[in-house]
Amino acid sequence: MEVVLLFVLVIGLMLIGVPIAVSLGLSSTIFLLAFSNTSLGSIAQSFYQAMAGHYTLLAIPFFVLASSFMSTGGVAKRIIRFSIACVGHLRGGLAIAGVFACMLFAALSGSSPATVVAIGSIVIAAMRQAGYTRDFAAGVIANAGTLGILIPPSIVMVVYASATDVSVGRMFLAGVFPGLLAGLMLMVTIYIMAGIRGMPKGDWLGWGEIGRSFSDAFWGLMLIAIIMIGIYGIPGLTGAIFTPTEAAAVASVYAAIVALFVYRDMGPLSEGEGRARSSVLRKPWTLVTAFVHKDTRRTLFEAGKLTITLMFIIANALILKHVLTDEQIPQKIAGAMLEAGFGPIMFLIVVNVILLIGGQFMEPSGLLVIVAPLVFPIAIELGIDPIHLGIIMVVNMEIGMITPPVGLNLFVTSGVAGMPMMSVVRAALPFLAVLFVFLIIVTYWPPLSTFLPTASMGPEIITN
Amino acid sequence: MSADKEVSRSALGRVVNEFEENAIALMLGLMTLVTFINVVLRYVFTSSLIWGLEVTLILFAWLVIFGVSYCVKVTAHLGVDAVTNLFGPSGRKVLALISAACCIAYSLLLLKGAWDYWAPFAALQPTDGRWFPLGFTTGVRDRAFYTTDQVPMLDMFRWLEPLINYDEEYDKLPRVIPYVILPVGAALLLFRFIEATVGIIRGTRESLIVSHEAEDAVDELAAQRDGKE
Repeated sequence: MEVVLLFVLVIGLMLIGVPIAVSLGLSSTIFLLAFSNTSLGSIAQSFYQAMAGHYTLLAIPFFVLASSFMSTGGVAKRIIRFSIACVGHLRGGLAIAGVFACMLFAALSGSSPATVVAIGSIVIAAMRQAGYTRDFAAGVIANAGTLGILIPPSIVMVVYASATDVSVGRMFLAGVFPGLLAGLMLMVTIYIMAGIRGMPKGDWLGWGEIGRSFSDAFWGLMLIAIIMIGIYGIPGLTGAIFTPTEAAAVASVYAAIVALFVYRDMGPLSEGEGRARSSVLRKPWTLVTAFVHKDTRRTLFEAGKLTITLMFIIANALILKHVLTDEQIPQKIAGAMLEAGFGPIMFLIVVNVILLIGGQFMEPSGLLVIVAPLVFPIAIELGIDPIHLGIIMVVNMEIGMITPPVGLNLFVTSGVAGMPMMSVVRAALPFLAVLFVFLIIVTYWPPLSTFLPTASMGPEIITN
Repeated sequence: MSADKEVSRSALGRVVNEFEENAIALMLGLMTLVTFINVVLRYVFTSSLIWGLEVTLILFAWLVIFGVSYCVKVTAHLGVDAVTNLFGPSGRKVLALISAACCIAYSLLLLKGAWDYWAPFAALQPTDGRWFPLGFTTGVRDRAFYTTDQVPMLDMFRWLEPLINYDEEYDKLPRVIPYVILPVGAALLLFRFIEATVGIIRGTRESLIVSHEAEDAVDELAAQRDGKE
């Protein structure tokens, strides 16, 4: 009973505009002080240990940093150019290229709003010039942007893995096929719609352009290769080279070097007022100065700020998790559900609904860290694969982000495209329907997510 | 630059802001470098910095606990504005004040907890009382002898030995140093929340939250578009 009160308090505080982190922390603290014998001192300790005691979560700042170096306009432009070279000549090609670019960029950035901003700000304008309606352009980008949290590396998956003690490596692998399928389904839908409505198609620019644009985007795309090869090893040759956390740190150093010395979109070699883009050969001292240049410092600071806001939420959600574990809440709910004769399917529907509603309001990693500890033990009890559950949760949040009335990506898209919320909602609807079909496939066809991790890392062992 | 939102009027404010931003950048940079160097050492020189991981994790905790107060200052904390947006300006102000009160309550509780946890490591006494500090306890066992697992002792902290460790030498960095960020961070957080509350009362700021992480970037785009049209 007290637990219902706890959740009412958390949600109530959130809705009146208390920061998510404080809503979670304050409610849990009050609950612990009132109903258990935990002291404030040990709450403070678990706050500190949320960072210092969680090696997995350490991957978050590094992934955020890598994507901050990669999220400069330059990388997005190169990826879009490559995408247009590949699929731009099809009917509705620019829209398909937009989806393709979102998929590639999602793999670099790991954040949905960031993907919408980076790709949307360029592609929506380009689509309008090419003769697409603004609504169509916005609808495509709002939906494709959500792929950011499904295609690895994904910060949300790191959060899920550390909240439930499953392997980050498995989660990343599990996201590969669903991510590709979702992208493919969106592209096919666009192709069909384009055929019916007679949308414009671009010119085939030839294999030469594909080659040139690929070599231009190569350094950015290599980041994905470094992370994936680092975590899983070169197939057939080596085992894993890094832990996911180390892979993220290596990726961010790599991203910094590419941004500063290869692409030179930022740092001392970049184009500025009264100076052209320069080369490190001409200015060798920049090898040192680039790392203390104000652009580098700015990127580090922005990534640090984002890390702080995410980790503040996660650290407080871990206090809530502590309450749930202490009180054996998930076990009680699971017991009640089993007694009432609810099976796994009913349970998954309930999870779907909770996450679709929650995803409306909340940033995905925050939502996940609250819901995962609650539903995970229940899922295990019901015999649902933990990796499969993780992918279901991620896809649900994706959809929550574009579900009217207040999905987060809808807001971002309406800002990026400069159009009212309601028209974005209407524009996104047809693709939302596609993603719903996708959700049903993911939910009721586990091998889609579990095949790849099981094939490459052996079957999942449940330890608790 | 996101910090431009908060235009500091005084020279002191600018210096503090510079310090906070540089500290955040520096800590994240160091974390990345130490981890990266350790990977390189392992593969190229088959050795490693034994304290690397622990230092990285301490820096991670420092980054977040130090940084939360800065994020309050520049209103970077994530929240839900879907409901508050339904209200008029005065309704929103009332809600903002209630949430500010909750934030202050939270940081007061955290500050008491942080002190209680840290004090024994500094050979000090924690406070009495469950919810509110009711004076200091006596006779809580001193934990100043606890050291970190691998971090070497730095000579600059030798003065701690006579002060809290009965003149005994520390062979590793004592825990009092990494943990000190807890009371410091919680006190800064309390200060920034009070500052924010004053701001809401005066009308210089509207709320304590942003609805998503990319808000700055979207605002920038909107500004560019308005400039063009």
